[in-house]
Amino acid sequence: MDFGYTTEQQDLRQEVRKFIDENVSQGLLDEMEAGEEGGRGPEYRELVKKVADKGWIGISWPKEYGGQSGSRIDQYIVEEEFMRRGIGIGGAGSGAPAILAAGTEEQKEYFIPGMIRGEIIFALGFTEPQAGADLAGLQCRAVRDGDDFVINGQKMYTSAAHYASHIYMMCRTDPDAPRHRGISIFLIPMDTPGITVRPLWTIQSDPPAPPGTTYGMPRTNETFFENVRVPASCMLGEENGGWYVGAMGLNLDRVGASRYLISVRRDEDIVNWVKENDFNGYSPAENPAVRDKIAEMWTEAQVCRLMTMRSMSLVNRGGNFTYEGSAEKVWAPEHGVKTTEAIAQMLGPYAQLLSNSEENIEDGLFAHNLMGSFQSGINHGSVQIMRDQMARRGLGMPRG
Amino acid sequence: MDILPSEEEQMLKNVAREFLEAEVSTALVREMELDGLGYPPALWKQMADLGWLGMSIPEQFGGQGLPITYLGLILEEAGRVMAPVPLHSTMVAALTLAAIGTDQQKQDILPAVSDGSMVLTWAVQERDARLIPDAIELDAKADGDGWILNGTKMFVDNFVVAERCLIAARTSPKSGSSQGISLFIVDPNGNGVNQTALVTLAKDKQSRVDFKDHRIERTALVGELDEGWPLVEAMLDRGTALLCCQMVGAARKDAEMAIEYAKNRVAFGRPIGSFQSVQHMLADMLLHVDGGEMLTFEALWKMDEGLPASVEVSQAKAFCNEKCESVVRTSQVIHGGIGFMMEFDLHLWFRRVTSWSLRLGTTYDHRARIASALLDVPGQVRLGMPLPMGV
Ligand SMILES: Cc1cc2nc3c(=O)[nH]c(=O)nc-3n(C[C@H](O)[C@H](O)[C@H](O)COP(=O)(O)OP(=O)(O)OC[C@H]3O[C@@H](n4cnc5c(N)ncnc54)[C@H](O)[C@@H]3O)c2cc1C
Repeated sequence: MDFGYTTEQQDLRQEVRKFIDENVSQGLLDEMEAGEEGGRGPEYRELVKKVADKGWIGISWPKEYGGQSGSRIDQYIVEEEFMRRGIGIGGAGSGAPAILAAGTEEQKEYFIPGMIRGEIIFALGFTEPQAGADLAGLQCRAVRDGDDFVINGQKMYTSAAHYASHIYMMCRTDPDAPRHRGISIFLIPMDTPGITVRPLWTIQSDPPAPPGTTYGMPRTNETFFENVRVPASCMLGEENGGWYVGAMGLNLDRVGASRYLISVRRDEDIVNWVKENDFNGYSPAENPAVRDKIAEMWTEAQVCRLMTMRSMSLVNRGGNFTYEGSAEKVWAPEHGVKTTEAIAQMLGPYAQLLSNSEENIEDGLFAHNLMGSFQSGINHGSVQIMRDQMARRGLGMPRG
Repeated sequence: MDILPSEEEQMLKNVAREFLEAEVSTALVREMELDGLGYPPALWKQMADLGWLGMSIPEQFGGQGLPITYLGLILEEAGRVMAPVPLHSTMVAALTLAAIGTDQQKQDILPAVSDGSMVLTWAVQERDARLIPDAIELDAKADGDGWILNGTKMFVDNFVVAERCLIAARTSPKSGSSQGISLFIVDPNGNGVNQTALVTLAKDKQSRVDFKDHRIERTALVGELDEGWPLVEAMLDRGTALLCCQMVGAARKDAEMAIEYAKNRVAFGRPIGSFQSVQHMLADMLLHVDGGEMLTFEALWKMDEGLPASVEVSQAKAFCNEKCESVVRTSQVIHGGIGFMMEFDLHLWFRRVTSWSLRLGTTYDHRARIASALLDVPGQVRLGMPLPMGV
């Protein structure tokens, strides 16, 4: 057991911090604040290239595709430092693990370096109007036509679709096979004719949530596919084997700094806030009930951190997950909700004041977090489904 | 950073599990609940021969000098089978002496602990059972070259079988930065020392100990006069983390029994483990045991590294108090009526984990410590980084 960082890793952290101080411009912050292209506009892409030049993106990915074949922990350190400034860099949620595991040589050579340089960004096209938690019920069709596939259907909540270069989507390729065995994954350029993206505005869109809010995203999308013709080489993994590639990819995508940090940042924020502020002389930091709750939440947050470290330790050892990724995906989101609600009760009526209100606290951060935090327990595998997986895959319980 | 057990650690765990599962049956656990000593000396001797009692005792005193994490793994496995041996109380006192005892004290006691011929315990709590200096009133009055003890200690483990007991006593009123507390070694069989058995949920050996004009010599003092409180705190931290190991070990075994039961018990024509509400209870048990285990071993690891670990210890205990308790209670629920029957073994675990959750600091006590570290010291906090230190 080793719960510490090596000297090299501590140095890396310092170097990343210094880099961020020197390279994050006001222009980038303004661009992110404005939320154009999901905060991934020209300034962002410029920064990503510089970070990539340092060799800091995809550190744990293989050298031959532009990574460093390095430690997942090193990669985490970079992700964490950027995330703490509100900047998502590589890592979790990117789709890369699935491509590395199931992609052809051409796909790996094309996508991974592009992702490292920030030129390729994926939208995730899994959910459909009638297939969410029960994803295997998806209906979006891909029909083979010679060397091509033709796609028709609709995807819901395709969050990055309005600025992504590609979509990583699941389609039904064999409607007659058992549900899980008739699905394939496609990696498709968003500018392919026949794709239409329509915005869906979230409850965080008016007024906009301050940066760093858990699920502060103002916009997601629905994406329509009408006779979208793509070459068969867009398929990731085997035809009709997409369910297993997708599940594995989701599992690995759950690991990393982002999932953990969005659930615990408020634990730090509230401690730092009550130490420096009071309400006309009343300090919540002196209220015994508040103190007890803060300590309880801090302890739970440590468990979020340790679960993340455990998953990364497993990845570094060659990664054989049974339930650990799902465990993280239950504990962190539920903690995020608990702590957000507990904090609101510490701040009382101030915690309802939104970002554009007079008298708000931290630009309404805690109020907007009340609106957003529960969402991370629904998407990317809801906590109910994650508990099912823990019980079935982790503990061998029979299906209901 | 690799928070999973190393190959060597895993091997130790496996060996310990194999031995303990073979040697400690629930029949033995039940027998020891009624036994005068509360432990089988032959088993104790075997554990000494395996090198476990000297695991974290320095080599020059007959031990192996291994990290406390290793000892933690042994205690986790001991907790798993609820091994009825005075391992915890002996180790808490022994490691304290190893850290701060005089050479003579170490020479007199540690080799005897390592070879299994001496059982130890420790006594801090009194009627106000909070683990704070103000709660310590047991009076040690200077008397020539020694002291005379008067007062009462509560909840002392294994006092009936211990040959030495480390005791926190008040040698001076609190003044300035000094708490006026000193740490002594006492002989449980000495004159003016009387124990009264307490009957605990765990049905293990705890005592109230009354001191009436009990005299101790100069050589009984451990550490500096009046400056014993930091030593007591370090002892409590080690003891608390090691108790968490036992709790986590016991809770995991208890959860595994619920898992097996859920696979086999049929209701409404199918195994109860196929019902989603039962599955989700089981998933929560897994989250809780894993969480407690990771917090506990991080605390022990920090001690081994010589880093401050008090907050980590309190995190582990506050969490285990609630979550290990929740695990064993949920296991009772999943077992239905049978779990409530005396002849069914499940309650052996339930009763122990429940008792342990009330020892060495309640949830509130530990959270108060965490809150103080977070809120009463200036400076920004950040998860995963050391907390700001006071001046
Ligand atoms: C802001 C946002 C961004 C998103 N981004 C993306 C994205 O980029 N790409 C993408 O593909 N999807 C995305 N999603 C979709 C998200 O993954 C789905 O919302 C999620 O999978 C749940 O599906 P659903 O909304 O259809 O709810 P449903 O599947 O209808 O579920 C409703 C409720 O029923 C529960 N439930 C369902 N089945 C069971 C069961 N067997 N046992 C117990 N409870 C059950 C669920 O847990 C949930 O609480 C996003 C969603 C949001 C809100």
